[in-house]
Amino acid sequence: MTSPMMKPIVTPEGYPSASGAEHRLRGDVDEHVLLVEDDASIREVATLGLEEAGFRVTASGDGREALVHFHQAPFDLVVLDVMLPSLDGFEVCRKIRRESQVPIVMLSARSDTVDIVVGLELGADDYVTKPFELSELVARIKAVLRRSTSAPAGAVISVDDLEIDPAAFRVRRGGEDVALTATEFKLLLELARRPKQVFTRELLLELVWNYDYLGDSRLVDVAVQRLRAKIEVDPKQPRLIRTVRGVGYRLDPS
Amino acid sequence: MARRRIQPGRLRRRLTIAFVLAVGLSAASLAAGSYFVVRQNLLHDSVEAGLAQARQNLVLAPRYLHGGPDDVNRLLAAYRLRGDFLTVGRARGRAFSSSFSVGVRQVPADLRTLVRSGRIGYERETLNGTHYIVVGGRAGPRVELYFFFSEQQRFQELSQLRTILLAGLGILVLLAGLVGAVLARSTLRPVARASEAAQSLAEGLLETRLPVEGRDEFGAWAESFNEMAAALEGKISALSAAQARERRFTADVAHELRTPLTALVGEASLLAQHLDEMPPESRRPAALLIGDVGRLRRLVEDLMEISRLDAGRESIEAEPVDVGSLAAAVLRSRGWEDRVRLETDEVSLTSDPRRLERIVANLIGNALEHGRRDVAVRVGRDGVAAFVEVTDHGEGIPPEHLPHLFERFYKADPSRSGRGSGLGLAIAQENARLLGGEIDVWSELGTGTRFTLRLPVTESLRSRDGGVADEEHDALREGQRRPS
Repeated sequence: MTSPMMKPIVTPEGYPSASGAEHRLRGDVDEHVLLVEDDASIREVATLGLEEAGFRVTASGDGREALVHFHQAPFDLVVLDVMLPSLDGFEVCRKIRRESQVPIVMLSARSDTVDIVVGLELGADDYVTKPFELSELVARIKAVLRRSTSAPAGAVISVDDLEIDPAAFRVRRGGEDVALTATEFKLLLELARRPKQVFTRELLLELVWNYDYLGDSRLVDVAVQRLRAKIEVDPKQPRLIRTVRGVGYRLDPS
Repeated sequence: MARRRIQPGRLRRRLTIAFVLAVGLSAASLAAGSYFVVRQNLLHDSVEAGLAQARQNLVLAPRYLHGGPDDVNRLLAAYRLRGDFLTVGRARGRAFSSSFSVGVRQVPADLRTLVRSGRIGYERETLNGTHYIVVGGRAGPRVELYFFFSEQQRFQELSQLRTILLAGLGILVLLAGLVGAVLARSTLRPVARASEAAQSLAEGLLETRLPVEGRDEFGAWAESFNEMAAALEGKISALSAAQARERRFTADVAHELRTPLTALVGEASLLAQHLDEMPPESRRPAALLIGDVGRLRRLVEDLMEISRLDAGRESIEAEPVDVGSLAAAVLRSRGWEDRVRLETDEVSLTSDPRRLERIVANLIGNALEHGRRDVAVRVGRDGVAAFVEVTDHGEGIPPEHLPHLFERFYKADPSRSGRGSGLGLAIAQENARLLGGEIDVWSELGTGTRFTLRLPVTESLRSRDGGVADEEHDALREGQRRPS
């Protein structure tokens, strides 16, 4: 449980329940953020900004070094730039996702569609494009953290062979744990709470990502795609999470 | 422009016809000429032979015609031995003939008059479909003799010749038609090729060249065509390279500015948090600095956006949008709620909400900046178009500036340096066009200015909605799926 490979907040087993993992109870303050950004000025000012917002920050300017940091201490969230020396942000994101579901916010130097989509596909929970206001970054980070910390209330929901336990932040399929990121979990939970109801992308952005109106609908599309890859029998022909053309998505228990 | 319809093949047809006409006419005149020469000679020979025979006959006649009862019969018998001709005569008031088929009555009147006057004459006559040359003369007083020489053979030969010549002419014309068509085709092939080449040049295949065949005029033409194409290709590629370089440069500049700008923006927002704790003399410069960093940020973001639009790689992420709530969200997120009046009808359409948000925000921002007073936004629908109207009651824009308002960095009033980047309206217009819409402007000095964004609400746009965007996403994802 305490090995660096198993972050308490991120693995399904270690996911804090409402009453567990006392370090989560300290609230927003002192959450540990790993900031990976190669530009020294941005790194410093972002560190200052995040610290003022109450986070504990470990900063790194190099992809490999960041992975070393990541393995040395538990982090609540990773802020990851795309352009990095030695190992780029996508690669770092992929390596982290291979072993952990820690929330990741990408800093995209380009607002290039492809860059953003690639980042999201690799498992990032959200992104901020440069140049950004510190307040934007802090708001995004808090929104992502809220997903992983606020324990949703409610009884266990069963959909087909899926068992969604909001209190334990845990999803089982056929009795086996499915490792979902906080974003994916929240998305599945929202859909499963009202099965057969169509959710617009807009509504999902609001419910899951806390964007009040003008979020990026690609966040939803990519997250649905990732979720399908984890819970559908055949992700290419999804039976559970259906696309409603031109509108949004719907969970369809068989 | 009314252009005459081009009919390919017309020139080819015309060339073929001209060739056939030339060949046909010259062959026909040649044939006719030779036919008449041959005919002339044949008939002349026939006359000569007839006359010679007739003279001998006339000389012979007095020897038989001495007034005996049987003299005519003997004369005719003697004539029969001399050759194949019919004899008709009149001696001492008595008419006679060597054949039942002809008589004196058949001798042309002109000829008889001539003969009676004592001369030898001839005339052609057709009796029962047989051509004769009738030669007549006097053989002593009161004796007229007429000899019918058949010309049937000669006329038959002539008619055969005519048939042969006509058939030859017909075959020649047919051949000329074929050869002409082939010739015209091969002559005009370079023209057809050049026309194809010019078309493919026009379609943008600048590497198109013509094959240079032979040293004739077409060869020279193909060479100059190729020179022109090469020059064009060179010019255009140089131009587009220059343009690409320029755009690349703009994109690079904006991109390179981003990193320091991100740091600046962060630093400015940290400064802003601590403005109150600063000594008064540095507080004002710090506040100015913060404001200018914001301005720089807007400029760089606009530059990035315009260079992305220029690159033409912008995709539309269409989904259902409620235009009214989008406008409301724009006002809310920018803190303009108190300064702008919003009036909306229920308008929903399928469009890219982020682009729409950008357009609406730019129009309202522009109105607030320049119009300053009484900015009103109206969202509605007329017919097939949805519209967003942004009206201000400022001083208005002089008419000479109106056509240029959507140009980049255009300033209606150069003395007034606005807070905006100078790209806002250009970006709004480009985005509007990307969404299939258009922005127009109306302004009156002293009254105000109104910008109207019109967007189509059509089925065709409806069908390009989120479902399609999904597929695009899926395709994108397929392409980039990592091996897991």
